Amino acid sequence: MVDEKDIAEETDPNRSPALASLLSLIVPGAGQLYLGERSRGLSFLGAAVILVGLLTWLDMSLLYIGLLPFWLWNAWDARQQAQGRQPSFVLGFVLIAVVVYAIGWQVTEISVLKLVEGVPRIQPVVASLLKPDVVTRDVEVMEAIHIFESPCSGSPPAVAQPKVDAPYLITEPTCADVDETITVRGGNFPPSRTGELWWENPIGQASRLRARGEFVNFETDAQGQFSQQIAVPDVVPESGQHGPQIHEIKPRVSTPVGSPHASETFWLVVRRVGETIAQALMATTLGILLAVPVSFFSARNLMAVNPVGTAVYYVTRTLLNILRSVEPLIMAIVFVVWVGLGPFAGVLALVAHSIAALGKLYSEAIESIDPGPIEAVSATGANRAQVVVYAVLPQVLPPFVAFSIYRWDINVRMSTILGFVGGGGIGFLLQQWIRLSDYNEAGTAIWAIAIVVTILDYASAQVRERIV
Amino acid sequence: MNFEDKTWLQRGRWLLLIALAAGMYVWSWNAAGMQPSLLIEGAPKARGIIKDLLQPHLFTRPEEIQEAETVIEAPCSGSPPSPAPDEGSSDGPAVQIEPACASAEDPVMVSGFGFRPNTSGRLHWAPAGMQGRLRDEQFTTDAQGAFTVETTVPPLLEQQGGVSGVVAQVEWESGALQPSEPLRTTIEKIIETVFLALMATTLGGIIAVPLSFLGARNIMPRTPAGNAVYGLTRGFFNVMRSIEPIILATIFAIWVGFGPFAGVLALSIVTIASLGKLYSEAAESIQEGPIEAVTATGANRFQVVVYGVVPQIVPPYTAFTIYQWDINVRISTIIGFVGGGGVGFVLRNWINQTRWTWASVAVWAIVIVVWLMDYTSARVREAIV
Amino acid sequence: MLEIQNLTKIYEDGTLALDDVSFTVEDGEFLVVIGLSGSGKSTLLRCINRLVEPTSGRVIWDGEDITAASQEELRKIRRQIGMIFQQFNLVKRSSVMTNVLSGRLGYVNPWLSLAHQFPREERERAMHNLELVGIAGKAQNRADELSGGQQQRVGIARALMQNPKLMLADEPVASLDPATSHSVLKYIEHLNRDQGVTVLCSLHFLSLARRYGTRIIALKAGQIVFDGLPEEIDDHRFKEIYGEEAVQVEVR
Repeated sequence: MVDEKDIAEETDPNRSPALASLLSLIVPGAGQLYLGERSRGLSFLGAAVILVGLLTWLDMSLLYIGLLPFWLWNAWDARQQAQGRQPSFVLGFVLIAVVVYAIGWQVTEISVLKLVEGVPRIQPVVASLLKPDVVTRDVEVMEAIHIFESPCSGSPPAVAQPKVDAPYLITEPTCADVDETITVRGGNFPPSRTGELWWENPIGQASRLRARGEFVNFETDAQGQFSQQIAVPDVVPESGQHGPQIHEIKPRVSTPVGSPHASETFWLVVRRVGETIAQALMATTLGILLAVPVSFFSARNLMAVNPVGTAVYYVTRTLLNILRSVEPLIMAIVFVVWVGLGPFAGVLALVAHSIAALGKLYSEAIESIDPGPIEAVSATGANRAQVVVYAVLPQVLPPFVAFSIYRWDINVRMSTILGFVGGGGIGFLLQQWIRLSDYNEAGTAIWAIAIVVTILDYASAQVRERIV
Repeated sequence: MNFEDKTWLQRGRWLLLIALAAGMYVWSWNAAGMQPSLLIEGAPKARGIIKDLLQPHLFTRPEEIQEAETVIEAPCSGSPPSPAPDEGSSDGPAVQIEPACASAEDPVMVSGFGFRPNTSGRLHWAPAGMQGRLRDEQFTTDAQGAFTVETTVPPLLEQQGGVSGVVAQVEWESGALQPSEPLRTTIEKIIETVFLALMATTLGGIIAVPLSFLGARNIMPRTPAGNAVYGLTRGFFNVMRSIEPIILATIFAIWVGFGPFAGVLALSIVTIASLGKLYSEAAESIQEGPIEAVTATGANRFQVVVYGVVPQIVPPYTAFTIYQWDINVRISTIIGFVGGGGVGFVLRNWINQTRWTWASVAVWAIVIVVWLMDYTSARVREAIV
Repeated sequence: MLEIQNLTKIYEDGTLALDDVSFTVEDGEFLVVIGLSGSGKSTLLRCINRLVEPTSGRVIWDGEDITAASQEELRKIRRQIGMIFQQFNLVKRSSVMTNVLSGRLGYVNPWLSLAHQFPREERERAMHNLELVGIAGKAQNRADELSGGQQQRVGIARALMQNPKLMLADEPVASLDPATSHSVLKYIEHLNRDQGVTVLCSLHFLSLARRYGTRIIALKAGQIVFDGLPEEIDDHRFKEIYGEEAVQVEVR
């Protein structure tokens, strides 16, 4: 059905389609405004202003062309409107969305190429993350030592003789310049095993030998012997300036012994996860205790009874809103400066955020109290305290409990990352390990977080179902 | 008898629970390193920061500088230098020093004229052969733009020897207020933040829609395969939801390098997980009745989906998506801490440089944007559902 | 003519909903199915247009075996059988117009319909049907903004879009108050009398069944315990159908 107002507009001779579309062509939405379509005109104008502003600020002049279809469509729309039709908004919306997403694509530097190029970089990381360092076995190391001179002096060390009862290493020759190739032969190692070659320079710094970036390993044969060619590494700073020096070459075969047991990393993670949960518990508890009084100050139905109360209400509400907008991680930085690095700073950040979030939720619960039961209990002649106990508490307690449990969930999650800014908990270890490229260890931490958070999530869901 | 036993048992259980809770709190208090005294000890430090945070450095005026230079010899060599007479110095600022050569700690008199009147400035020494300048006395020019300063020759000049420079500089702010550097950077990064959240919400949402059907009990058949797919999908949602986006962003920063793209990817994963779960639950609460009714009219399968299913899921899906965008904006304010782009990146830099008045600009921008998003998303959701 | 032959339905959980039910409905009848909740009324109606697949037995309509029809044939049959529901089964978030138009889905171009495009004459037909049930003014409202009685009228308008020869009404007034119940049933009665649509309607209240039905079938535990004219149900019969404790309630 078409109501009368529409008909009146259709037949209005004063509204020229040409003028309307021209107006819209000059300023988007102007034609629609001229036709009396206020909200439509204003939203077109707003969209155009925002988009042009964005493109200018971000200096993406090429995308102005992308605005063209929207511009034309808006003029066409004005024409249609002037002729009494109501074209669908969808096309215009799509045209705007295209420009918005084009801007977003550029601003956020989305690049599928980077994603593909990075695959080799991320592959070993993910592989390590998926192999958390949880269980380990003790290792018995068999090692031999041989001394070696580099560069050569007139009297190189004597060639060693094969030992009978212990692992040994022989090099030929016993001195060489950096980058020269020498042959090392060893024996009396466990048979058919892979071993590592370590090189200790004159000041006692040991490092594993590398060739073209890869570690050099050796394989022992059935008799426990091996022979390997290696290049003399340049392991002394500015070695050319020093004279001949004595180095040590150490072949090493490690054998796991004993039964598997939890690794050091595992215990570290367990301790830090404990700290994380403790943080969440303290923060949630303190947050609840402090949020309850705050929520009274920010409940409209309690405070807006006189001008002072109303003022308190608005101030509290505003403060809560500001505080709630700032992520706990940002607050943690401030608290780290305040009380120093460590879990306490993290707890304080979570407390501040919990007060803000819970204060709002609690106060909304208070505001939605049904006055009926209060009236009924008061009518029985109950005193104020009795009214609170029998009519108010039963109404606010279930939502309070539900919100508190929900907050606990969030705090557990948040506390896992507070360590990124020095706020304690598992996040600290995780960030360290990622920085040092210890991805097996980082994987342990991530798995621990996933498991603990999922379990606590599930548990709190159960509790919530029971209580509420 | 029985009755009393029970109460005793119950009482015992309560005592046990209370003891357990008390133990947990004691342990937590220690583990969380609670030291309330630190709050008071650190208060002076915090006061400074909070004061700065309340004074965001929003606007600046361009500074103008007027400078004039002359020379001094230290120690004296017998042929004191004569400053090259400046061609255009007749109307520009000029500075003179008496005597033209001196030893360390000797009193000298520096006078200048032709400067901007009634403006404060500072005297600098430019020791021979050095890049830096030594700051010395401050002065204020008189109404004619002249000044006189009595000071002593710094020992460093004598150590360096030769001819050193004497520079007088006056500074003043002029012109209109303009946005400060932190304000301009913050606006740029806030735009990046909002778009980061938008792209991640869109990308994640598009992927979450099909996944949500796999995670909806009423859509997946109750066969072993159907159960497995359902379980796996829901499990994926739950595990991914438990990992904070910041952690994911660190990993993606290794993958695609620092920048907003890493943040988009991390947030997309988070979005898939949380929207997937919400979408699935919405799909599970679809009413069978309308589907039955449309089927009964003789509609085909596609028509049943378009007329019976889609109208039921589009409003909740849209509401959840907007809600997620709101959340993503919050997260993207901090994802820059680990190199994921957005305003968090500059915020962390400024904090590391202890430029708290700069950091304050970013923090207030975050407050405003998050609050705006919160408000509009609540309004839009109200209108939709 | 609708013939139900030895219709049996056993649900997956083992519930026997229909137990060897057979009867015939002549064209132009207003057949009311009564019985307690769970007696199999809903299952019977849904077996006719195969919203529920019968376990055994046949449904033959105008010589065509519905139970043996392929999916495509079934769609063609379904579009001639209108259906209205106890819970109205409207898409609550869609407009009244869209809900009514969805009754025409079996007839229109399926591809255009996916884009919500309907020919002009279909829109006019929808408007006409809304006028018939007296809610043309609400065409652009969202369905959930309407009252229960209005929603059921939308349901009827939707079924009318199909130009049905047979109308299945599953407890059409069970969710409505007495006054609204009568107005809705009057629309159905009008369809039956003036347009010759055969009606199969399940009802809860005997008084309504007596008032509107030309013939009554009573179900108990999936079996037919009565088949006859409304006036044949006396106190004894009533107790047989509804159990010893039941008391007749009048809906005025």
